[in-house]
Amino acid sequence: MIPLQYELILSAMLLCIGLYGVLARRNGIIVLMSIEIILNASILNFVAFSSYSGDASGQVFALLGIAVAAAEAAVGLAVFLSIYQTHGTIELDKIRFLKW
Amino acid sequence: MIAYEWVVWFILLLPLGAFLVIGLVGRRLPEGGGPIAVGAMAGSFVLSMYVFIQVLQQGGLGGAFVPQKIPGYVWIPSLLPENSIKISLLIDNLSSLMLVLVSFLCLLIFVYSLGYMHEEDGKARYYAEVSLFATGMLGTVSADNFLQLLIFWEIMGLCSYLLIGFWYSKPEAAAAAKKAFLVTRVGDVLFLVGVLVIWNVFGTLSFSEIQGKMASLYPNTLTPQLLTLIPLLLFGGAVGKSAQFPLHAWLPDAMEGPTTVSALIHAATMVKAGVYLTARAFIFLVPLSSAIQPPFTAILVIAAIGGFTTLFAATMAVVNFDIKRVLAFSTISQLAYMFLGLGAGAYTMATEVSRGETVDSTGYSAALYHLFNHAFFKALLFLGAGSVIHAVHTNDMREMGGLSKPLPITSKVMLFGGLALAGILPFSGFFSKGEILSVTFAAGADNAGFYWLWALGVGTAFLTAFYTFRLWFMTFHGEYRGHEHPHESPRVMTAPLIILAGFTLASGLLAYPMGGFGNLIFSGAPAAGLPLVGIPAQDYLLEGVSMGVAVLGLALAWAVYATKRIPAERFTASRGGAFIHHMLTKRYWIDDAYDAFGRTVVYDAARALDWFDRKVIDGIVNGVGRGGVVVAAGSDRFDRRVIDGAVNAVSLETVRTSLRLRQRQTGQVQSYAWVVVLGIVVVIALAFGLSFIQRWLGGLGR
Repeated sequence: MIPLQYELILSAMLLCIGLYGVLARRNGIIVLMSIEIILNASILNFVAFSSYSGDASGQVFALLGIAVAAAEAAVGLAVFLSIYQTHGTIELDKIRFLKW
Repeated sequence: MIAYEWVVWFILLLPLGAFLVIGLVGRRLPEGGGPIAVGAMAGSFVLSMYVFIQVLQQGGLGGAFVPQKIPGYVWIPSLLPENSIKISLLIDNLSSLMLVLVSFLCLLIFVYSLGYMHEEDGKARYYAEVSLFATGMLGTVSADNFLQLLIFWEIMGLCSYLLIGFWYSKPEAAAAAKKAFLVTRVGDVLFLVGVLVIWNVFGTLSFSEIQGKMASLYPNTLTPQLLTLIPLLLFGGAVGKSAQFPLHAWLPDAMEGPTTVSALIHAATMVKAGVYLTARAFIFLVPLSSAIQPPFTAILVIAAIGGFTTLFAATMAVVNFDIKRVLAFSTISQLAYMFLGLGAGAYTMATEVSRGETVDSTGYSAALYHLFNHAFFKALLFLGAGSVIHAVHTNDMREMGGLSKPLPITSKVMLFGGLALAGILPFSGFFSKGEILSVTFAAGADNAGFYWLWALGVGTAFLTAFYTFRLWFMTFHGEYRGHEHPHESPRVMTAPLIILAGFTLASGLLAYPMGGFGNLIFSGAPAAGLPLVGIPAQDYLLEGVSMGVAVLGLALAWAVYATKRIPAERFTASRGGAFIHHMLTKRYWIDDAYDAFGRTVVYDAARALDWFDRKVIDGIVNGVGRGGVVVAAGSDRFDRRVIDGAVNAVSLETVRTSLRLRQRQTGQVQSYAWVVVLGIVVVIALAFGLSFIQRWLGGLGR
């Protein structure tokens, strides 16, 4: 059995990687992928605590989170596709129409 | 009991109705509605006579008429029924007599007015006002309580003002009207205060209820001081209305009105109200039970003012040349006789009550008897004087003389009136005046001061005869000194004169068939006998003295003004005589003093108040206004600068801040994400930091 700390450290590392991707990369697709990594980091936490405490509800949440992540990814991709069609780019520092 | 007692209301309502009708539509009626006034008054007289005869049958001629209250309506209701103020009439011996007297004389004067006022303008106004005047007097004498009396009393005061100022375009008449109103007002205020004090003490204003409550309230609620104060306050009202010293100044000036008005004021109404009020005040002066100490001080004041005024006014009549003013002064003097009689009578009665003896009401009867007689002969004299003035168009006796030929009726009736006024047997004045003097002399046995008052009264009797016949001789004797063509007055004027002349002779002798005047007037005490029969020899002597001095006065007037054996200049030849003459002509400077008082004190006070008003009050008002402007300007500046400034500053700062904040809204998603992450880091740091600090503090505590 893998100790809980390892799993949590892995989860934290995944979170940090995801955060880095969100904050540092310009490409919208990579940002979307980084968000997926952050989500998976949290799902990993669910699973870890579930197996640690012997409670299956964490795994239920994990499955739910995966489903939501898939839907979110689909919505995100659609948004970026739409942005690309209107602006011709998905470089986030070029997209400034959120400004007032 | 009076059958059909509601008719008594009509005694008042008829002249009141005449007042309303004439006042509203009189200008369109013939003679200015005069016949209506006469008719109403005649009706009033008939009803009064009806009431009077019943009172006579039940009271005056043996037996006692029970004073009857004729209930009207509750005017001011109260929680306690006995405290509510009712309008109701009182019929007793005194009021029934007064009703007859007033309505009869008013009737004669109204009839006379038809002739006298024939050529005047404003007849409707005249008849309306005299009708209201008559209503006032009839109401005064039939009122059941002091408040009602005061109301009618004031109606009379108003009418006297209006009538004295009838020729209001004449400045003297307007001034005299104002004077009459203001001077009597002084007395009226005292009367009003008296009524309030009575209400406060007794909780009722009705005469009979007050009399009933006296014994139970004395001496705790009704202290002896209050018992002295109340009649004095009422007498203050009487002094004003009856023109006694020191409020006599208005009456001679009141001659500015038409002569009929003078006759009305002097004979039947107005001035007699004061005597009537004092007679009503006997419920205070002469208590029913011997447990109550009578207010002797108040009685003495009344008698002393009466005694003093009688001589005081008579002296002023001696030097006057205005035929009506001589009569006016004689009215003051004769009214003072009545007050003297009331005072002396009250003193005797009060003494007898406090000693527990039977009460002898001679003085009371004598005074009211004099009122009765005086009403007739003074009305006669005034109407006669009016007839003279009508003929020669002047009031000044120096421009008359020798009028007995052109005015035979007037001169004869004036002679009757003069004899009655002078008190010559068998005319009415003799009986009542002699009676008053003998009562005063008798009161001297209880208080020596009354001997002095008696001496004043006798002196006055001399002067009265003198000035009366000075008037008569100057007017009717000798050669005519004026420039008119005098002629006798029309019949409508002479007829009332002849009737009145008959009464000057008869009213003195009327006392006999009535079994003594006291019997008639003072219910329950018919002791006052016949004026001449069945009285002690001393009284014959006293009557003789009063008659004797009157004859002396008459003789002096004859010598000076008729035969001119003693030239009038001799009296003013010496320096002292001239001074006295001047003093009397100037009416003891009392009018001047009042005028000076008015000019200096009142006028200066008014000026001071005016200055105060302009400078101080207006200054305060202006200051307040100016202060308001300054405050408003300040508040405006505050509003503009501070409030608006604050508002503007807030909005400006908001705009500036938002402009600065706008720069942070880059629109770049990642910069927002940075802030989010930073926020998370801060939250985590805070959570950790707080738990760390907690732990650290806990460690310290341990």
